[in-house]
Amino acid sequence: MSAALGKIKGFDQRFLVIAAILFAILLPFFFDRGSSFMDDAVLALAYVVMALGLNVIVGFAGLLDLGYVAFFAIGAYTMGWLGSTFYSQANGGEGVHLLVTGAAANLPGIHVNFLLVLVGAIILTTIAGVIIGLPTLRLRGDYIAIVTLAFGEIIGQVAANGDQVRIGGIWDKTLGALPLIPDLGSEATLTRGKLGISPVDKIDLPFVDPFTSLDIRSWYFVALGLVLIVLFVNVRLRDSRLGRAWVALREDEVAAISMGIPTVKTKLMAYGTGAALGGMSGAFLGSYLNTVNASQFEFIFSIFILAMVILGGLGSVWGVVIGAILLSFVNSWLIPDVLNGLPGQLGLDFDLTQVSFAIFGFILVIVMILRPEGLIPERSRKQEMHGIGTGDRAGAGSDVELGEAR
Amino acid sequence: MSDAPIRAEKVTKVFGGLTAVDGVDLELRRGEVAAVIGPNGAGKTTLFNMLTGLYRPTSGRIRLGERDITRARPDQITALGVARTFQNIRLFPTMTARQNVMIGRHSRMKAGVFGSIFRPPWVNREEREAEERAGEELKFVGLKADLLDRTTASLSYGDQRRVEIARALASDPHVLLLDEPTAGMDPRESAELAGFVLKVRDERKLSILLIEHDMKVVMGISDRVTVLDHGELIAEGDPAAVRQDPKVIEAYLGRSAA
Amino acid sequence: MPVAFAIHDLTADGSLTRIGNNLVDGVSNGAIWALVALGYTMVYGIVELINFAHGEVFMIGSFIAFAAFGWFGMDLNTAIPLLILGLLLCLLISAIASGTLNAMIERVGYRPLRDAPKLAPLITAVGFSFILQNVGVLWLGGSQVSVPDLIGSQDVLFQISGVEVTNGDALAILTTVPLVLALTFFIDRARLGKAMRATAQDPDAARLMGIDVDKTISATFLIGGLLAGAAGLIYALYQTTIWFHQGFEAGLIAFTAAVMGGIGNLRGAVIGGILIGVIQQISDNRIGPEWTPVIVFAFLVLVMVVRPRGLIGEETRQAG
Repeated sequence: MSAALGKIKGFDQRFLVIAAILFAILLPFFFDRGSSFMDDAVLALAYVVMALGLNVIVGFAGLLDLGYVAFFAIGAYTMGWLGSTFYSQANGGEGVHLLVTGAAANLPGIHVNFLLVLVGAIILTTIAGVIIGLPTLRLRGDYIAIVTLAFGEIIGQVAANGDQVRIGGIWDKTLGALPLIPDLGSEATLTRGKLGISPVDKIDLPFVDPFTSLDIRSWYFVALGLVLIVLFVNVRLRDSRLGRAWVALREDEVAAISMGIPTVKTKLMAYGTGAALGGMSGAFLGSYLNTVNASQFEFIFSIFILAMVILGGLGSVWGVVIGAILLSFVNSWLIPDVLNGLPGQLGLDFDLTQVSFAIFGFILVIVMILRPEGLIPERSRKQEMHGIGTGDRAGAGSDVELGEAR
Repeated sequence: MSDAPIRAEKVTKVFGGLTAVDGVDLELRRGEVAAVIGPNGAGKTTLFNMLTGLYRPTSGRIRLGERDITRARPDQITALGVARTFQNIRLFPTMTARQNVMIGRHSRMKAGVFGSIFRPPWVNREEREAEERAGEELKFVGLKADLLDRTTASLSYGDQRRVEIARALASDPHVLLLDEPTAGMDPRESAELAGFVLKVRDERKLSILLIEHDMKVVMGISDRVTVLDHGELIAEGDPAAVRQDPKVIEAYLGRSAA
Repeated sequence: MPVAFAIHDLTADGSLTRIGNNLVDGVSNGAIWALVALGYTMVYGIVELINFAHGEVFMIGSFIAFAAFGWFGMDLNTAIPLLILGLLLCLLISAIASGTLNAMIERVGYRPLRDAPKLAPLITAVGFSFILQNVGVLWLGGSQVSVPDLIGSQDVLFQISGVEVTNGDALAILTTVPLVLALTFFIDRARLGKAMRATAQDPDAARLMGIDVDKTISATFLIGGLLAGAAGLIYALYQTTIWFHQGFEAGLIAFTAAVMGGIGNLRGAVIGGILIGVIQQISDNRIGPEWTPVIVFAFLVLVMVVRPRGLIGEETRQAG
């Protein structure tokens, strides 16, 4: 009986998913190629990728990461470094060109094909994820939140001050001196601070014309492709040996480690994967937004993405997708275009865009108090949020303290 | 060299100023059921936590066969073939019974990030086998078939105990540590469980160490008994002899008529 | 580290004036962090929650103080006796406002989640932090606002062989010391203080002993907020500029100080706050203020990772 029900539900879900994907594919044909709706839609998809990445860390593994912006930054800078005229002195001023066509092929600076940049961003962010994750893993959950937040802030501050950091000299004497690796010139700096690296190369894929900022439809399909990849990764990981191990660690770390789950390795896999997905989206956004700019990488961004995950439902793949789309449109359409004048109409002296931070903060508070499992809850998370089997067994006569467990 | 699958040599554990276990020697022999008994607070669970790597001994060594595992992590020790249950059951409450037991298979499986995402045939096979194995173990411990896919939070106390044992067995251990397996059971259930422990030992060729308060169970199934009091080993030997030991009688009767 | 810089200064300039000034500035700035850190450590000690909004409660304290200066028409021409009276009144107002705010946040945002997983109230705390930041933006705008320099913050009060102690330094230190002494005395002696200690050790046992745990927790938030409000006023007078974002960094610094001092340990939090103040000054003065946040955050990571149980003293409650 219950098995049959499950089958029907399973069928329904599959049907829904296919319908949603078809809808997403057809959607852009109802809108103008350069419309602001398409612009909002591309951003929404990029944020879905981020939110699903953060979902691996926070939702699956239960590690509250308040510094996810770090991976956005690293992904975006990978795009900026490898796809702009920023390092204009590279290779003695002639530039480096790797599998790029169109305008970028003749410009100075480093210009690498987008797909390779994507790979680079994945590698760099995975490493960053592991580096950030490693020191936090022995800490209690709330300390993890603060340490990741601090790492995110460090990356943001380094980005902001990176225009003072001259890396060119050291680079040219070390890595740049190796064969095949270009020199950068002694003037090269780490970032361009708040001025930002701009313009950034447009996506350049084999067999299609280089992208332009006028035709957003092609960007949309690339973003949708990334979403599908990341969805696949999320679903597969959730229903796997690793996914089970994450739930186990979340619910009872001592029992999990006693049953043979290596805590450090298993958690690092969550950090690394989540970071890599953020890096992918970051590289995409670097190119799409046409600037890589330190003011993009502030704490509020981490909270923006976290609010998507929490609103949708921690650990719930489809919930997170919906949460991300909702909040993204709230941010880029509802607040600035629809409701912006609302306070004014009510006789208040401010615009709604001024308080968008508070709106996301408010969403966090309201969801946590009224419906902590989110809009579309994931089953085990729902029970955990309502006090069944939380990891917090302190005082319940547990026979091992987590502080002692290794 | 004695034939001991797991052995503690002069292990001591100090918490702050309190010595929970004080220079205890303990060995579990191949194929036996041995019991650790002692009044509350005698250091029994602390000893277990050291054997399974949750605590690192302040001094002393722990050996698994010839191998020194004093500094090994719990997951490494599980992978080397030591499994345990907990005094107050520690299942993953929102997972089903079957998923819980599949966690026990974790150390025998290999799928990592890429394996889990791309699912090559070996990963699918591994998952399927783990699922089947989980079903078998749950059947072996006597969980009713219709409870396999229920979350363990919804299971009765006795069934939760069964699932916990199945989870431990799923990791292919050669040493099984049971921390008060009959806690909270009535005499009939306890007797049943005692019989089951012997069955597990014989069918799985295991060596079993258990902490137990129920003297009937201890005397009924143990080949040897070790008695701890205030963290120190006060007696060791076959059950009948230990029962007569004046120090043991005093340790128990000195406190209460338990 | 200060010692290393002292030796460096001795060899470079032949005097200890520079490090001496760093230390004085650092200690006075750190005294403000210490007041904020006390609220953090008390709250964490009792409910094991990182009250992420605490920094914003401090910021609101600064804003209220600024407004109160206006209400009382205090400016640079106010006579000194009146000024002192006015400032004391403002201190009272900003402390009570921040304390009430903090207790209200607890009531609305944390109490309903006391049985939920620990991350839930932390998330609402982050939410409140953002809400309050926006309150700040709407109140005084998105940039720095200057506060009338009522005490002549940078005026040198006295000098010892080149090391200058300004009015601001004196204010910060002379307000913090009595507040901290009063607080520790209160916690050690007063009935409520004892209830707080009992609740911190074991809420269930405290309840059995007839302690009203909810009320005790509210009181803890109230006291923490009072101190943050006081710190807000001192900060406004000391820095002479305030803005909505000051609470974010102050909160993180204060939390680091609390962790450093050992969560729940009041004296530890004070020492931690002062230590961070000194580190900031040295970094501002020798590396460049734009890098100070990086230094502070790196230090935060280091403390949390290497000594999560504190550099000084012990936790009042076992981590578990």
